[in-house]
Amino acid sequence: MNATSFGGRTTDLATHTEPLLSVHELQTQFVLQGRTIQAVRSVSFQLARGEKLGIVGESGCGKTALALSIVRLLEPPGRVVAGDVRLRGRSLMRLPEEELCKVRGKEISLIFQDPTDALDPVRPIGNQIAEALRAHNHQLGRRAIRARTFELLSDVEIVADRARDYPHQFSGGMQQRVMIAIALANNPDVIIADEPTTALDVTTQAQILDLLNRLATERGSAIIVITHNLGVIAEFCDTLRVMYAGRFVEAGAVSTVLASQVHPYTVALGESQPTSTRSVKGPLTTISGLPPSLETSVTGCSFAPRCAVGRDRSLCHDLAPPVVEPSVPRRYQTYVECHFANYSEHGPEDSSSAGADPPKSEVTSDDRG
Amino acid sequence: MKSILSRTFGGITTVIGVSVITFVFLRALPGNPARLMVGSLASPHTVALERQAMGLDHPLYVQYWDFVEGIVRGNWGFSYSAGEPVRSLFASRLPASIELGLAAFIFAVGGSLVLALAVTYRPRRLLDRVVRGLAFLGTGTPAFWFGLVGLLVFSVWLNVLPGPEGRLAPSVIPPPDVTGLYVIDTAIAGQFRTMWDALVHLVLPAVTLGLFPLAYLTRLLRVNLLDVSRRNFLTVARSKGLGRWAAFYRHALPNASLPMLTACGLIFGELIGGSVVVEKVFDWPGIGNLVANAVLQQDYSVVEIYVVLSALAYVVINVVVDMLYGVLDPRVRIPTQSSL
Repeated sequence: MNATSFGGRTTDLATHTEPLLSVHELQTQFVLQGRTIQAVRSVSFQLARGEKLGIVGESGCGKTALALSIVRLLEPPGRVVAGDVRLRGRSLMRLPEEELCKVRGKEISLIFQDPTDALDPVRPIGNQIAEALRAHNHQLGRRAIRARTFELLSDVEIVADRARDYPHQFSGGMQQRVMIAIALANNPDVIIADEPTTALDVTTQAQILDLLNRLATERGSAIIVITHNLGVIAEFCDTLRVMYAGRFVEAGAVSTVLASQVHPYTVALGESQPTSTRSVKGPLTTISGLPPSLETSVTGCSFAPRCAVGRDRSLCHDLAPPVVEPSVPRRYQTYVECHFANYSEHGPEDSSSAGADPPKSEVTSDDRG
Repeated sequence: MKSILSRTFGGITTVIGVSVITFVFLRALPGNPARLMVGSLASPHTVALERQAMGLDHPLYVQYWDFVEGIVRGNWGFSYSAGEPVRSLFASRLPASIELGLAAFIFAVGGSLVLALAVTYRPRRLLDRVVRGLAFLGTGTPAFWFGLVGLLVFSVWLNVLPGPEGRLAPSVIPPPDVTGLYVIDTAIAGQFRTMWDALVHLVLPAVTLGLFPLAYLTRLLRVNLLDVSRRNFLTVARSKGLGRWAAFYRHALPNASLPMLTACGLIFGELIGGSVVVEKVFDWPGIGNLVANAVLQQDYSVVEIYVVLSALAYVVINVVVDMLYGVLDPRVRIPTQSSL
């Protein structure tokens, strides 16, 4: 099955349950000194209630711009130029600012990369958590807010006594816990975590991810984890989207994508991850070259200049790649944008783990809610 | 606490150093104060007698000791140019300068807050250019020129503000002295007509005096605000659901204002110390006018006391600013017993 647009396919999955969050053909630009940079180039995806989506890609491929575009917090010179974001069917792109304020932090929360810069240095952390509560619970009294703040602090395993301490009195990992407490304050439906652990050391990374995963699962929140670390995604995401040069080039269940690795970029990305099993002696494989600057519109495949498969093929350089989907529908939307990619129909473990037949998918997605 | 003590000690050293230097330099100047005192027709014998009476024939260190002793005892010396004790001179002149300085300070700080916020809260390119241009002009415009033009426009042409007649119109009786600040004293006495008169007399001098600090603070705050507004915690604040303005005034403004404290302290000291130029232009009966005349007439005692008081004010303001940082900025807060 080969469709140039996957819009049609996703709708028939969506007929029984409306997706929690759906992003449709989102385009984001930065205009800097007369130059236009396409940070997000027509990205679409859907997020089910409770789903854990990983978005992977290297630096500068538009991951953060995508996150900020969804909640419309992108500051000039960045601008969403086209597309739509719908939360439970309601378009966020058409909402006035006051209505958006009711969505941010209440229905969609964000967690950012660098916790040391994410907290206001001159306010106690308890105050900053309480601020998130107060923004959406005007009826709550001082005492109730205080109690909730302490509760949140203990949820992220910080002693309540420290509510009056200032951000600089905490380590990076602790600050990220505070950030998580802020993000979870109003039990949001969606948490967008933009490289939540990149700035932390490896042991702390695991703790933070476990914490985030556990708390989000308890609350039934869906998570979008944006990272350049495939390991993070393998550990706790259901679905995975590979972003390259402002576009998703491959999507599917984590098990599918990691097992089959259809797109050459995904393959290269997988090879450049350090693993414990691989010999530690040799240098890590790297992907040669840099992502395109995105200043000009890309003709052909954006990955072609760096691609092991398409580097020397004029087809890849000249013609935008088609969207290839597996012939047997999968539980999660699965596709790859490549001229030379193909799903092996007798794929490995995938069909059993992710469920290959549509009827089953309906049952399981209902269970998830 | 320890750091405040050590700063206070350092401050006292500064004041003593300043007083020694002023004392020695003033006496090293050419000219004879005794001759000025008794007049050009007096005989050398009279001059010598006057020198003796003024204590100028003693060795320098004895003179200095007398001077210090006098300050501590409240005997600040006698101004022969004014024919009045220095202390009562200062007591009558200082409040005028402080009132003017305070008004200029409020104008500068308030104005810079409004201007800097207006251009940084939302990017407004045209307004930003205008404000930057004005700030540039403001730091470069001489106060005497601005004061004179102000008088010409608002007093002579438009006739909405009084001319250079000091703190009150000549026919208005000053309020009973409580603080020495007319605006406050009139409010205490309930003399609101006099209060209004004092206010309109303050406007032009205060704006003239506050122009440079206004421009300077605006530039400083604008840069700080732009810096802070790029910080991630503002995006975080908005991601909690705070509106743009709420995030700005709760998070951007406090962070951007903190580095301003030092500049504000220095400017405050500068402004209440009196300005020779502005006081001359508006015939303001302040300390600047007094000291300028004293310098010209080699009236040692007035100049010395002024310099020592200035040094003292400078030190006090700096200690206060340091203490304020301790209160306002948690990062420099000194750990106390309870938090350890």
